[in-house]
Amino acid sequence: MVTVNQKELIAKEKANNPSLLKTIWREIRHDKLALVSLVLLLGIIITAYSSPLFIDQEQLQRVNFLETWEKPSETHLLGTDDGGRDVFGQLLLGTRNSFTIGLSVTLIAGLFGLTIGLIAGYFGGFVDNIIMRIIDFLMVLPSLMFIIVFIVIVPDYSVFTFVLMMSAFAWFGKARLIRSKGLAERELDYINASKTLGTPSWKIMVFEMFPNLSSLVIVNMTLTLAVNIGLETSLTFLGFGLPASTPSLGTLIAFATNPDIVQNKWWVWLPASLLILVMMLCINYIGQAVKRASDARQRLA
Amino acid sequence: MKKRSLMLLASLMLVLSVFLAACSGDDSADGGKDKDKGKDKGKDNEKTEEGSGDNAAELDFPLAVSNDAEAMEDGEMTVAMVAGEPFEGTLNRNFYSGTYDAEILSYFDEGLLDTDGDYLITNEGAATYELSEDNKTLTLKIKDGVKWHDGEPVKTSDLLYSYQLLGHPDYAGNRYDFIIENVVGMPEYHEGKTKEISGIEIINDQEMKFTYTEASPSILSGFWSYATPRHYVGDVMTGETTIKDLESSDKIRVNPIGFGPYKIDKIVPGESVLYSRNDDYWRGKPALKSIVQKVVSPATIVESVKKGDIDLATIPADQYLTVKDVDNIELLAQVDYAYTYIGFKQGKWDAKKKENVTDPDAKMASKELRQAMWYAMDNATIGEKLYHGLRFPGTSLIIPVFKSFHDESVEGRMFDPEKAKQLLDDAGFEDKDGDGFREDQNGEKLVINFASMSGGETAEPIAKAYMQNWADIGLKVELVDGRLHDFNAFYDMVENDDPKIDIYQGAWGTGSDPDPSGLYGRTASFNYTRYTSEKNDELLKAGTSEKAFDLEYRKDIYNQWQELMYEDVPVAPTVYRYALEAANKRVVNYSIEPGKESDRYKWGVAE
Amino acid sequence: MVKFIFRRLLVMIPQLFLLSLIIFVLAKQMPGDAVTGAFMGNPNVTPEQVEKIREQYGLNDPWYVQYGAWVGKAVKGDLGQSYTHKQPVTSLLAGRVANTITLSLFVLIVSYAVAIPLGILAGRWSDTWVDKLIVTYNYFSFATPLFVFALLMLFVFGFILGWFPTGGSVDIRIESGTFAQFMSKLHHLVLPGLSGALLATFGTIQYLRNDIIDTKLKDFVKTARSKGVPEGKVYTRHILRNSLLPIAAFLGYEITGLIGGSIFLEVIFSYPGLGQLFIQSITGRDFTVVTAIVMISGAAVIVGTMLSDVILSAIDPRIRIE
Repeated sequence: MVTVNQKELIAKEKANNPSLLKTIWREIRHDKLALVSLVLLLGIIITAYSSPLFIDQEQLQRVNFLETWEKPSETHLLGTDDGGRDVFGQLLLGTRNSFTIGLSVTLIAGLFGLTIGLIAGYFGGFVDNIIMRIIDFLMVLPSLMFIIVFIVIVPDYSVFTFVLMMSAFAWFGKARLIRSKGLAERELDYINASKTLGTPSWKIMVFEMFPNLSSLVIVNMTLTLAVNIGLETSLTFLGFGLPASTPSLGTLIAFATNPDIVQNKWWVWLPASLLILVMMLCINYIGQAVKRASDARQRLA
Repeated sequence: MKKRSLMLLASLMLVLSVFLAACSGDDSADGGKDKDKGKDKGKDNEKTEEGSGDNAAELDFPLAVSNDAEAMEDGEMTVAMVAGEPFEGTLNRNFYSGTYDAEILSYFDEGLLDTDGDYLITNEGAATYELSEDNKTLTLKIKDGVKWHDGEPVKTSDLLYSYQLLGHPDYAGNRYDFIIENVVGMPEYHEGKTKEISGIEIINDQEMKFTYTEASPSILSGFWSYATPRHYVGDVMTGETTIKDLESSDKIRVNPIGFGPYKIDKIVPGESVLYSRNDDYWRGKPALKSIVQKVVSPATIVESVKKGDIDLATIPADQYLTVKDVDNIELLAQVDYAYTYIGFKQGKWDAKKKENVTDPDAKMASKELRQAMWYAMDNATIGEKLYHGLRFPGTSLIIPVFKSFHDESVEGRMFDPEKAKQLLDDAGFEDKDGDGFREDQNGEKLVINFASMSGGETAEPIAKAYMQNWADIGLKVELVDGRLHDFNAFYDMVENDDPKIDIYQGAWGTGSDPDPSGLYGRTASFNYTRYTSEKNDELLKAGTSEKAFDLEYRKDIYNQWQELMYEDVPVAPTVYRYALEAANKRVVNYSIEPGKESDRYKWGVAE
Repeated sequence: MVKFIFRRLLVMIPQLFLLSLIIFVLAKQMPGDAVTGAFMGNPNVTPEQVEKIREQYGLNDPWYVQYGAWVGKAVKGDLGQSYTHKQPVTSLLAGRVANTITLSLFVLIVSYAVAIPLGILAGRWSDTWVDKLIVTYNYFSFATPLFVFALLMLFVFGFILGWFPTGGSVDIRIESGTFAQFMSKLHHLVLPGLSGALLATFGTIQYLRNDIIDTKLKDFVKTARSKGVPEGKVYTRHILRNSLLPIAAFLGYEITGLIGGSIFLEVIFSYPGLGQLFIQSITGRDFTVVTAIVMISGAAVIVGTMLSDVILSAIDPRIRIE
């Protein structure tokens, strides 16, 4: 039975929630640090992603032992590595790869976690119970160890499989988070109203529940983006990262394992380390602003 | 037998390097510790970097330390085991598998027979031997006064015990080989048919006799003379203990004994070992009062050496430039018992017949193709630029360390892309479709799949460099699975003749025995390329025949073999390597020369 | 409560069982086995001998047979034999577990010792320069990969300054069981411990700061203030009591992070513990050891989260344990 009352209620809920993106943007504009971060991050990303336009990848990856470990100069802005390859070019491609990986993992895991979490939260009861038992178990797995084992097993190891493996272990925390918020949300009037209106479950989940949880999702994702980039480089450091032919920030930083290189050949590893730090700080500051945007009490704007 | 551990070394190094790459990080160290020296050092470094190409040819390292002062009474020394991971701690010659365990063993345990510079057994050790006329019986006599660390005399029954362990049906180590099996009655004992090894006869506590099925010069380099203290570790033969219990027993892991110059006082598992002097050592009183041997990460080793914390250490080749100007140490080096090579898969292992079967239609079956690929590799540049001369192009499959057998006249195939192209043109490998890559003789596309191992920072650029070299002569070579493989994955494919692989880059430790049949024979499972030929069979057989006890004959045979390998190229040796060691300048009487192992007890430190 | 703990322990059994099955199957999927390449050291070994050894270690059996045998022994407390180390896995792990626990505890204690005061400071004086400083440190700690930081710590304090040993867990020359040995162990612990701890503060600081800021505005605090309770007391009596307790409850969840972190710390500082052994066993395909380490880590997480739940319900009766 649809009553005018219920419709009004739904409309009101929606009105209370003006475009989240707008709020975020407003919040960022009012936080200088976040604004600078955003500009800087966009700058880095655009440069990195457009790099194939002016870098010949094939040429960049070509080993030339006559030019190993060259210091930064005009021809090689950041010198060369142990194979005589230009570090600056690798830094650009590496940033692109590392960022793509971090972002894909965040998105895939986010989407998956969100779906599972929504389903559990929306339906509750039996469904929720089953899903939570599975998640409880998955949370027990020492994920880093499992990722390492998987990496050893997979014969055809590429950026794609790497992303899948990392995603496989990144979604359950999110699912749990979404689910607990969803459980609370489902008791609210607007959901009940929709249910009585006979709206299909998936529509309620996607169009009504999700928007109300989106701020939570975005905050969580910005943080995990930083974590995932860090994880990719860390695995590379342990020797379980990307194939050596794929430049990544991790492969560059992993050069820092030799004292001589740390001290005398700083140009290979230091720029990549700093870049990671800068990117992660930027993402964090932006994330912080997003978080505030989602919580009216803390908003600066 | 020390040599065996050397081979192990090579293989283990590969494993380790994966790890090293990981661990090493840190150290970095040189950093500003010595700020005043900083300046000149910087300059020196630059110079060496620029000039390293020229220096390479002049590399010349001493084998022994130059300090000839008297060893200090009651000195103490710290020795590094340069490893990125803990040592395993199976401290028994019959059971250990790690290189680092071997390093520890050599301080407190030794073989009854000593070996000379050619790694042949001599009479200078704790026992003497005599070979019968027909070269089939070896009589061994233990000298007087050789005692285990607990004071018990070393008996012939202790050496017999080692053979009983190695041949035991439950034995799961890697030292039951054909030299052990060659003892009369050993196969029967190994199968559990009998409790006695008929070919080993104990005459009395100090004298025993070994009888062999076949006379072979390999006995002289492969004779197992490491005794096991039966009374101390417990007797498997009487059921007092079992092999499995023995392997994990505290008598092997926590407080093992031997009859070497130093005794083990304490072990921190995986980390360090503390030794004290064995006053009853049969050669005389050892020079040092105590020794600490500890694991130091390859990353931190140069810093530790520089600080003076470490007296003796092996130095990874990639840190040569950093260590070469450290002034409180001396660098020693000799050519290592190993070589790196490119293997060309030409067949399969027939598990039923237990032999290699060469496939005449294999992708790599063309001799000219293999020769051309050898000519195409620029190993000299890799050795000079990447290893600063510590690696240099290999020429033949018997390495120069075997002075008597290495054939100088085989010069290998030095970098010559023009010649490589010529060879390919002549053999019918031509680029018919104009894509820049050659097709095979039948005009079909030729893509060669290359497997290479990860590990160490240099693995990737080297693999890349070879692929470029081959592309330059028009051969399309691709990495198997598009990446490098770790040690196990790599050898899993290579051992099982995975069809994905056409060529691979491997390394062999050669051991002390110059006989190559274990690596290249028709029945050798380690002959991973599966190359076989009648001539090869013939020469390898002759090399270990009874006639080969005659050095000149053996030499001639092995020269012929090396020429055959040069011509047929089952594998192309890429580089030989130097093993680099650093000794603090206070160290005296230290030498890494082969055959000087017996002087270990004289190693000492001066004021 | 007792019933709850008992039930949780009961749930742990199928969880561990499933975990063991998964890791066992996965470990077996890794290409090659412990014997692969192990004989390269001695080309004179016959292929029969190699096969015999595979046979002896049961490496040729199908995985379910191997798993069955493994489970049969595991329930009796025997985790199998390490191929590489040639000794029972249980005795191999005994020494390493102790090291890892010591290191993790050290990291945990130091990180709390750093994070709690900083979190309180930042929350109490939010939006002052103290707060900004702390928040910046917190972002840095979050953004820096552990291995980069650990390497720098080792470089600076181990080598340049030479204040701390650069590897190992103890100085062997010092007699066992003495106070000096204890100090030596501590000395070896400082560098890896600090490296881990300083980067493990993010969650705690973040939580404390936000929570205090939230609580500051709550009615009961306002009431207390209006009654004239001195500001200091407002914090110690009212705010901190509320904000600090849940920290204890997060303790269990920290364990997951500690396990991951220990891999890096142990590898970088050559500190022989489980993490280092894990990597070594992966490269050496020492299946039994890999399985055992994963199981131990899993069990640690289970016990840890259970501990968290218990603490949580003990301090906050509103949270009922089912």
